[in-house]
Amino acid sequence: MYSEQLNLAMPTTTTSSSSFSSAASSSGNRQADVFSRLASPDPEVKLKALREVKNQIIGNRTKKLSFLKLGAVPAIASALSDSECNSILVQSAAALGSFACGFEAGVQAVLDAGVFPRLLRLLTSSDEKVVDAGARSLRMIFQSNQAPKYDFLQEKNMEFLFSLLNSENENVSGLGASIIAHACGTTVEQQVLCEAGVLEKLVILLDGSLSQREACLESLATVLKNNPEAVSRFVGLEAGRYLSSVTELTKDRYPRTRLLSCLCLVVIYNTSPSYFLNMGTKSSLVTTLLELLNDPGQSGDEAALGLSSLIAEKEDLQKLAYEANAIKNIVDILKTGSELHPKRLQGLFLSLAELCSKLEDCRCSFLSLEMLDLLVNALRHNNADVRTAACICFRNAARSVKVAVLGALSNIVLDFSSPKSTFIEYGGIKQLIELSKSMDPNTRCSALRALRNLMFLADKKRKELFYSEVKAQGFVSLISGKQSPLNHNHMIHLILQLTTKTKTYSSSDPEPTVQEQGLALLRNLVDGCINSIEFVFDEEGLILDTVGRQLRKSPQAQMAIQGMYVLTNVASGTELHKEAVMQQLFPQPQAESNNFMLKFLQSHESQLRSATVWTIINLISPSSPGALDRHVKLREEGIIPQLKNMVNDACLDVKIRIRTVLSQSMSFVPDTLIIPQVKAVRKSLYHYLYHS
Amino acid sequence: MSLFRIFINQDDDDDDMATSKKVITREEWEKKLNAVKLRKQDMNTLVMNFLVTEGYVDAAAKFQTESATKPEIDLATITDRMAVKKAVQNGHVEDAIEKVNDLNPEILDTNPELFFHLQQQRLIELIRQGKTEEALEFAQEELAPRGEENQAFLQELEKTVALLVFEDASNSPVKDLLDISHRLKTASEVNAAILTSQSHEKDPKLPSLLKMLIWAQNQLDEKAVYPHINDLSTGQLQDPPE
Repeated sequence: MYSEQLNLAMPTTTTSSSSFSSAASSSGNRQADVFSRLASPDPEVKLKALREVKNQIIGNRTKKLSFLKLGAVPAIASALSDSECNSILVQSAAALGSFACGFEAGVQAVLDAGVFPRLLRLLTSSDEKVVDAGARSLRMIFQSNQAPKYDFLQEKNMEFLFSLLNSENENVSGLGASIIAHACGTTVEQQVLCEAGVLEKLVILLDGSLSQREACLESLATVLKNNPEAVSRFVGLEAGRYLSSVTELTKDRYPRTRLLSCLCLVVIYNTSPSYFLNMGTKSSLVTTLLELLNDPGQSGDEAALGLSSLIAEKEDLQKLAYEANAIKNIVDILKTGSELHPKRLQGLFLSLAELCSKLEDCRCSFLSLEMLDLLVNALRHNNADVRTAACICFRNAARSVKVAVLGALSNIVLDFSSPKSTFIEYGGIKQLIELSKSMDPNTRCSALRALRNLMFLADKKRKELFYSEVKAQGFVSLISGKQSPLNHNHMIHLILQLTTKTKTYSSSDPEPTVQEQGLALLRNLVDGCINSIEFVFDEEGLILDTVGRQLRKSPQAQMAIQGMYVLTNVASGTELHKEAVMQQLFPQPQAESNNFMLKFLQSHESQLRSATVWTIINLISPSSPGALDRHVKLREEGIIPQLKNMVNDACLDVKIRIRTVLSQSMSFVPDTLIIPQVKAVRKSLYHYLYHS
Repeated sequence: MSLFRIFINQDDDDDDMATSKKVITREEWEKKLNAVKLRKQDMNTLVMNFLVTEGYVDAAAKFQTESATKPEIDLATITDRMAVKKAVQNGHVEDAIEKVNDLNPEILDTNPELFFHLQQQRLIELIRQGKTEEALEFAQEELAPRGEENQAFLQELEKTVALLVFEDASNSPVKDLLDISHRLKTASEVNAAILTSQSHEKDPKLPSLLKMLIWAQNQLDEKAVYPHINDLSTGQLQDPPE
């Protein structure tokens, strides 16, 4: 910008840069100057400085930070503590409140300055403005996670809290509600508060001013959360009048009021759904939250999380949301391209994940909207919660692929093997692999499941993509559990599906681990064709060795099942592959008779017995040259005799497989060595094969 | 004097005007209007609501005395609010910010868009006064960080800074920013924010009622011919055109 008429002497860059840097330093000087005046003994000067700082920092995060660094907070705190002059109290409290407003570092500084008790004392001042200033600052502090813990169980504290709630001053009663909203955490605290009559006090605020209403709604949600007794107490107040009020407020003109009342209703619904028998209420709750998603501010962020919480595990509400066009609305928001707050992203992806968790229609809709790019980006997000949410979403939506592949439904639009999706997949697979190495167990597990689903009946190209990314060593770490010492109990409740056989997991089942996931993934990988199998032989058979080692270590049933299936799939390959499997089953030299196959065949788990028998079937399939030798070995090790004992296994699947083995065995037993047992088996086998 | 206007029923074959509209004479219309009973209190409340929301403190106080109508909010708070509005309208934005912060420090701390617009107005005033260097400094120190914090502000910021580029800003594509109406727009925004923080509705009821009147007339036009109110400021009934 240069113009002679404007008298700007900025023809060269050096001059302009110096003018800018002088601007920066002059502002720095001004700040330092104000700061020094804060410490002035002259109250007039001090007051003026306080006002200046306050006016500079309100609304201005950058200034808050720079004044913070100068050490303004302790200086203002001393001004507050040392003075009795009302104007100074008001200005310093307001300044401290502004530092604490939505600015965590500011809250920390205010608390560190030890001025919290002084602020509390301001509430008893005779000057209304002092009380207001104190109440506001305290409310800002209590909205932060760093607020001091409020011990509701102490009688003194309860008295104080109720004195706040009873106050005529809007800011003070709002503070009381705020303390409850942000500090009440446990069921015991909820009980104590209810018994002391807090609900009766809070509902009065519903008829008050806007800020009182909002504070009330927030605190109600906290007190009622997951507490059926508290909910029933609330609903019982004046025969349900206040539940109706809250429901009415979902149609209020202020978006934040609508949001907070919706969140309150979500809490009530999740705690005691019986109060919501009316479908209309449920439906309008869903649609209101959907509308609020479009709000660009904080309300929209919280609405997304609220929606995911509302529809979680509730198929009927998911249907309502789907019918209200939720999927398209959410995807549209995600596609707007603007930077969305991590909380909003998390909420939106979780909502999509919930929608896709049970309803096939939802998955089809979702997949048809070409969301994979966005999902892949979300998998890269720097916020862990967003990544996890995207993972779960991806996994739930990908369940649909199995259905398409099995031909159960024909209305799936997106084909995972099309060229475009391969490109997307490349990014997707890479990201999922990265995430499978995450420190966070939930993320790891979700990523592995998604990968497992993707690899199920995947084509060669997709598998190659995977191999090139993971490499043998990566797999070994996964399978041998060396990656992390953590035990991954909690992560498996991210819904188990997509196994080739259905299996319901009850709470008494042993919970699978990442290792099992890894093995299952491996099993899918090597399934299907010879080239797939080569993968386990990379780096001198590193993976196969590891699988064998794991199996020899007396693993949990679930892991053993997956491991045996890996061996089954490998044994379906070439002669070399089969020999390699034999090596794993019977390594030489064997220290003791550590024949895990026998153990597996005697396992209570029918799936494990079945998987083991399958391995045997593949090993001695008559078409391969070395089958006879392998059969001899298996007989020597007692495997074949064991199978004969299992001819009438309780599990039909196992029974059929055993008879297959034994019929294969027939071709190895010379006629001259027919034993009565063999005769009997042959007879029943023929009967089974030709007459059943 | 009443005019009769009769629309003759057309044949079914005819494309236009298949239905006749009901005709209401001036006499009939006025008779119907007189039959509607309004309470004086309701009208007074509307007037008071308008005066209070728009911020006419003295008028509101006088009206209270004369009609015994209670203002819905404390007139003292109106004075504070009006001081802010006036300051912005006169271009004294820094003063306005200080006053808002005295009234309620949370308003600007929780309303980033409003805060940005006030800062923007400050910049405009500096440019208007020809204080170019100060304007640049201000833009760099105060407004640039806002643009960094929020992308949406960046565009408006660039537009505002563009004022400095033109020799004659008042004839540039961005001249609207220099217009007094921009001050009024900002003033209105602040006024609304203060009203909201005081849990008061930010719009008076009267304009909504008038809008409803126009809408109702438009609806009725499809079914009837009747005297209209065409000039809202006089409220005179006018006979329909020939």
